Amino acid sequence: MWKRNSPKTWYRLDLSAIVYPTLQRRDFSSVYRLSVLLKEEVRPALLQQAVDLSLNRFPTYKVAMRRGLFWRYLEPNDRPGPCVRPDIRNFCMPMPFKSNQRYLIRFYYYGRRISLEAHHSLGDGTGGMYLLQTVTAVYLRLLGHSIPNGGYVMDITKQPDPEELEDAYMRFANAGVRPPRPSGKTYRIRGTREPFYTFNVITGVLSASALHAAAGKYNATITEYLNAVLLYALLQKQQEEPHLHPLPVRIAMPVNLRRFFPSKTLRNFITMVYPSIDPRLGDYDFAEIVAHVRNYMRYYINEKFLRGDITTNAAIKRNPFIRVVPLFIKDFFVRLFYTRVQDKNSSAGLTNMGAVQVLPEMKPFLERFDIYMGIPYSERTNCAIISFEDTLTVNFGSCIAQTDVERRFFCQLVEDGVPVTIETNRNME
Amino acid sequence: MSYCVNCGVRLDASLKKCPLCNTPVIHPNETAVPNFPSPFPAGKGQVETVKSRDLAILLSVSLGASSVVCGLLNLLVFPYSLWSLYVIGACLIIGTLALPAFIHTRFPLFGYLLLDGTAIALYQYMISFNTPGQRWFFHLALPITALCTAAALSFAALIQRLSSSFLMIGLYFFLELSLLCVGLELLIRRYTGAPLCLTWSAIVLAICGVIVICLLTILSRSRLRNAVRRRLHF
Repeated sequence: MWKRNSPKTWYRLDLSAIVYPTLQRRDFSSVYRLSVLLKEEVRPALLQQAVDLSLNRFPTYKVAMRRGLFWRYLEPNDRPGPCVRPDIRNFCMPMPFKSNQRYLIRFYYYGRRISLEAHHSLGDGTGGMYLLQTVTAVYLRLLGHSIPNGGYVMDITKQPDPEELEDAYMRFANAGVRPPRPSGKTYRIRGTREPFYTFNVITGVLSASALHAAAGKYNATITEYLNAVLLYALLQKQQEEPHLHPLPVRIAMPVNLRRFFPSKTLRNFITMVYPSIDPRLGDYDFAEIVAHVRNYMRYYINEKFLRGDITTNAAIKRNPFIRVVPLFIKDFFVRLFYTRVQDKNSSAGLTNMGAVQVLPEMKPFLERFDIYMGIPYSERTNCAIISFEDTLTVNFGSCIAQTDVERRFFCQLVEDGVPVTIETNRNME
Repeated sequence: MSYCVNCGVRLDASLKKCPLCNTPVIHPNETAVPNFPSPFPAGKGQVETVKSRDLAILLSVSLGASSVVCGLLNLLVFPYSLWSLYVIGACLIIGTLALPAFIHTRFPLFGYLLLDGTAIALYQYMISFNTPGQRWFFHLALPITALCTAAALSFAALIQRLSSSFLMIGLYFFLELSLLCVGLELLIRRYTGAPLCLTWSAIVLAICGVIVICLLTILSRSRLRNAVRRRLHF
C-alpha cells in the first residue's frame, strides 16, 4: 500500500518542463487537456472519490511548483484536492501556480465526459493518459464494474516504480555530437486575437479507417498524411494573403520518445520535429507535399537522430556555467529566446497521440477520447489528434477569430473522401 | 444532422451555422428549429485570483513593528520632537499603496485611489505637527493632494467607462495633465498671494492642446488610427 506518510521529497523539473513555467503569463499557461467520453452520465461524487484514490499513485502529479535560487522544482502537495468541478466552455485556462490549492492539474465533468487538464511541466500527453485512464478505471470500479490493472491503468495499491518519476532525457542524452536546431523565419498566421479567456475549439470527428484508406492512397501513414494536409492548408492561406516574400511553412510536431527509448517515465519525454515546405522553391501540389513529409518523417524520426536532438537540448542543462546563473536571469533569457526564436520557428503545432490502447474490459464503457493542446503562446492554431477504436478526433485550438486554416484542413479531408463531423465551442448564434 | 453546403462537412446537431465558413444551416422542410444540446458546456470559467497572503502578512508585520518601535523610541528615549510621525506616516503610505498588490478583492479601484489620497493627506498632516505653522497644509498641500486624487480618479473612470485603447489613454493623459498644471499654478499663486493668472501652465496647456488636437484627428480617421496602432503596437 502506498504510504501517505512517506518521507517528503522533491522532484527536479525535467528537461522539457524547465521551459514551461518560464513562459507562464497572466493569460498563458502551458496546459493541455485529455478527455474521455463515457457511455453514461458522470457521477461527480464518485469521480471525486476516484481522483482521491488514484492520485497518490502519481506522486509527480500531486505536486506544487516552487522556486529555488537556480531552478524551479516540484514539491509534494498534501493540501486537499484537486476538486472535480463542472466543465467550462473556455477550458485550458491559465493555471497560476498558487491557485487551485497549488495543484497543477484540474478535473472536470460535463454530461458523459471526464476531462483532465494538466500543466505541461508535470508531464506529457502519455503521462496524462496514464492518469486519466487510471482515474476512469477506478471510477468504473466504484460503479461496480470489474476493471483489471494493466496497459494505461496503474495499480493504485502499489508504490510507483522509480523509473516512472525519472527525467528520462538525461539518461538517453548521450550522443557524441550535438546537431544544430532547425531555425529561420517561418510563415506566421495573421489573425485577430480574441479577448482574454477565449479559447476557440473546432473538433472534427472522423472515421479512423476512412482516414487510413485516404492516407493509403498517398502511401503515407495517418500522421504523415494529416501533417501534409495541415501544411497544405497553411500554404494555401499564405498564398491568398499579400506577401512580398513568401516564407517556409513549418509544423512543430512532438514525437513520443518512449517509442524509441525504453522508459516508463510519466513525465515529459518528447522532442520536436519540424516537417516543412518552402514555397520559394516552387509550387507544390498536395501529392508532392505528402511525399515530402513522408520522406522527412522516415529520415528524421529514428533513434539516432532523436538521440542527437535530445543531446543538443540537454547540453544547456548540463553546462556548469548556466547551472549557477540565478533563476530570474535564466527566466529572462529563456523567455527572450522562446519569444524571438522558438515561437517563430513554426507556423502551427500538430500532435498525434495515435490510437489509444484501452483494456478490453474498459472498452464497453468508453465512446471516445479527445486531446487539446491548449491556448497557443502566440496567434496561431494548434492541432491535436487522438483515436479510439474507429473514432478519430482532430481538435484545433486557437485564440484567433479566423478559421481559414481549419476550413481548408477539413475541406481537403472531405475532398479525399473522408466524412468529417464538426463540433465547436465557438458562439455560433 | 446537417451538412455545410459550402465546406461539405457534417455539422453537429446543435450548430446553426458552419463554424468553418459561417454558412447558416437551413432545412427548407423544417420551420421550427429544434434545440439540441451543445457538446460543450455553456458556462465560462475565470482564472482563480491568487492572494499573496504570506507577503501581505510579512509586510503588515514589518510596517506595524517599525511604526510601534519608532513611536516607543520617540516617547521613551528621544522625546525632543515628534520625529516618529515621519516614520509612522511613511509606513502608513507604503501599506496603503501596497494594498491592491497583495489583497485581490472586489474592492473597486476608485476606493483604492481614494484611500491612497487620504493616506498621503494624513502624512502631510502629521508633518505639519513638526513645522511652525499649519497654513501650508490647509492652503497648499491639502488642495494639491485633493486635486491630484481627483485627477487620478477621473483618469481611472475615463479608462474604465470609456475606451481604453492606448490612443484614447494618451488623449485622457494630455487633457488631464493640462488641467492639473493649470490647477497647480492657480493654487500656488493663491498661496503666495500673487495675482491669479496663467504663466508657465499656459505653455503646458498650449502644448497639450496641440497634442490633443492631433490625437483627436488620428482617432477620427480610421485609416490614420489603424496605421498608428500598427506601427506603435507593443
